[in-house]
Amino acid sequence: MNTLSAKSLFSGKAVKYLSVGYITVRNNFVYLRSFFIRSWFLLVILFIFVQLWRVTYQGEGNEVIEGYTYEQMIWYLIFAEAIILSSPRLPVKIEEEVKKGDVGYQLTRPMSYLLYHYFSYLGEAYVRLIVNIILGSALGLVLFGWPRLGLGLFGFLIVSIGSFTVNYLMTMMLSLTSFWVEETRGLVFVYQKMLFIIGGLMLPLEIFPGYLQAISEWLPFQTVAYFAAKAGVHFEWMMIAKMLLIQLLWIAILSFLLRVVYQKGVRKLNVNGG
Amino acid sequence: MSTVAKYIRFALACWKLNLAGAMEFRLSFFMTAGMMIINNFVWIFFWQIYFHRFKLVNGWDVSDVMMLWAVVAGGFGLANVFFGNADYIGNIIVTGQLDTYLAQPKPVLLNLLISRMSVSALGDVIFALLVFGCFGKHTWSGMLKFSIALFLSMLIFVFFSVCVQSLAFYVGHSEGFIGQELLVTFATYPTDIFRGMTKVVLFTVLPAGFISYMPIGLLREVEPLFFGAAIGVVMLLVFGGTALFYRGLRRYGSGNMMGMRM
Repeated sequence: MNTLSAKSLFSGKAVKYLSVGYITVRNNFVYLRSFFIRSWFLLVILFIFVQLWRVTYQGEGNEVIEGYTYEQMIWYLIFAEAIILSSPRLPVKIEEEVKKGDVGYQLTRPMSYLLYHYFSYLGEAYVRLIVNIILGSALGLVLFGWPRLGLGLFGFLIVSIGSFTVNYLMTMMLSLTSFWVEETRGLVFVYQKMLFIIGGLMLPLEIFPGYLQAISEWLPFQTVAYFAAKAGVHFEWMMIAKMLLIQLLWIAILSFLLRVVYQKGVRKLNVNGG
Repeated sequence: MSTVAKYIRFALACWKLNLAGAMEFRLSFFMTAGMMIINNFVWIFFWQIYFHRFKLVNGWDVSDVMMLWAVVAGGFGLANVFFGNADYIGNIIVTGQLDTYLAQPKPVLLNLLISRMSVSALGDVIFALLVFGCFGKHTWSGMLKFSIALFLSMLIFVFFSVCVQSLAFYVGHSEGFIGQELLVTFATYPTDIFRGMTKVVLFTVLPAGFISYMPIGLLREVEPLFFGAAIGVVMLLVFGGTALFYRGLRRYGSGNMMGMRM
C-alpha cells in the first residue's frame, strides 16, 4: 500500500513538472518565427568559421587535424554553437524575481522552485535547439551534402540533456547569488566566457596545448558544448557512456551545491508588501 | 570665436556631461567596461591557442591578428564613446525623438551623434591600448600609424551607421538593417580568409575589409593603394552619410512628441 502511494506520488510530481516543460514548449512555439529571424547571427558566425577552417586545412595540407576532418570540424561547430545559443537567458529572469520579490509567489506554489525552473529551462532550450539545428544543418547540407555522422545526431541529442542540465545548474547557482549581491551579470558573464574558452565552444579541446587540455578535463565546462558536439561528430558507444557518466557526476555535485546555495539564500529572503 | 572652435567646445562639453552621467553609477560603469575587456580577451585567448597550433593563417601571424583586434576594438570603442548615438539614429527618427534635436541651435547630426556615450565601449578603448602595449610597435611611426588606423576605423564605424540608419527617413524602420555589430563580426577576422564575392562585399557595401586589412596595409607596411582607398572610402562615408542624413531630414515629419534632454 505504501509502495503504491509512493509510486503515485512520484508519478504525480513527474506529471506536474513535465507539464511545466510542456507549457513552456507550447509558449515558445508561438515565437518560433521570431527565433528563426533572431538566429541569423548563428549563420554569420558559422559562415566565418567555415572560411577560417577552409584556409587552415588548406594551409596544413592534411585532411585530418587532431582527429577532425574539415567536414567534422564544421559540424562540431554547428553542434557546439547550437547548444550555447539555445541555452535560455535564465539569469535575467532569476535576478528580476529575486529583486522584485516575485520569488515569494513562486515559493508558495506546491512545487520545487529549482525543479520548476529546470523544466521550464529545458522546454525553452529544446525549442531553440530545434531552430538552431535546422539552420546550422541547412548550412552543413549546402556545404557538404548529406552528413556522414552515423548515429551522431542521436548521440548529440542524448548528451545534450546532460549539457543543458549542467549549464542550468551552474547558471542557476550563479543567478541565485542575487540573494546576496545586487548584480549577478558579471559572474554569469565570466562563466559564459569560460564555456567559450575552456568549454570547447570555439575550438575542440584536442586543439588545445596539453596542459590546458588536462585542466579542462577536471572542470565541468567541457560537459556542456564540447561533449555534445563531440558526440555529434564522433559517435562511439563507449565514449558516449563515459561522457554521460562524467555528466552525471557533475550533475550530482552541482545539484548538491545548488541546493545549499538555494537554502541559504531563501533564509535571507525578506519580501515586503503583497 | 570661429564656428569650428564653437562646435569643438560644444562637443567637449557634451562628452564631459556624458562621462559624468556614466560615472553616477560607478559600480555599473566599471563592471560594464570590465566585462567588455574580458569579452575581448576571450578572443585573444582563442587566437593564441589557434596560433599555438597553426602558426600562420594565409600569411597573417599572431601579432597581425592581435593588432587587428586592437584596431577594431579601438575604432569601435572610440566611435561609441564619442558618437554613441550613431547606431540609434533610425530608432530616434521613427519614434519622433528627433524633434528635441531640431529645436536646439546646434548642427543636428553632430548634436545627435555626441549625445550618447556607451560605457562598455570605454572597455574596448582600454583593451585596444593594452593590446597595442603588448603587441604594437612602440616607435613614433608605430604609434602614429596606430593612431591613424584607430581614427579611420572610428570614422568608418560612425559614418557607416549614419548611412544605414538614415535610411529610416526613406523606408521607415531600419533597425533591422545591418549595423555596427555585423561590421565588427566580419572585421575581427583576417581579411585573407575570405575570397570571391565575400571579399568584394567586404570592400564595398560592408566596408569591414578596410578596417581588418589595416594591420597589413598600414601597420606592418604602408601600402599606398590600400591606404589611399581607405581614405577615399572614409571620405565617401563621411560626405555621403552626412548628405543622406540632411537630405532625409527634409522628409522628416514631426511626431509631436514632447521630449527633453537632461
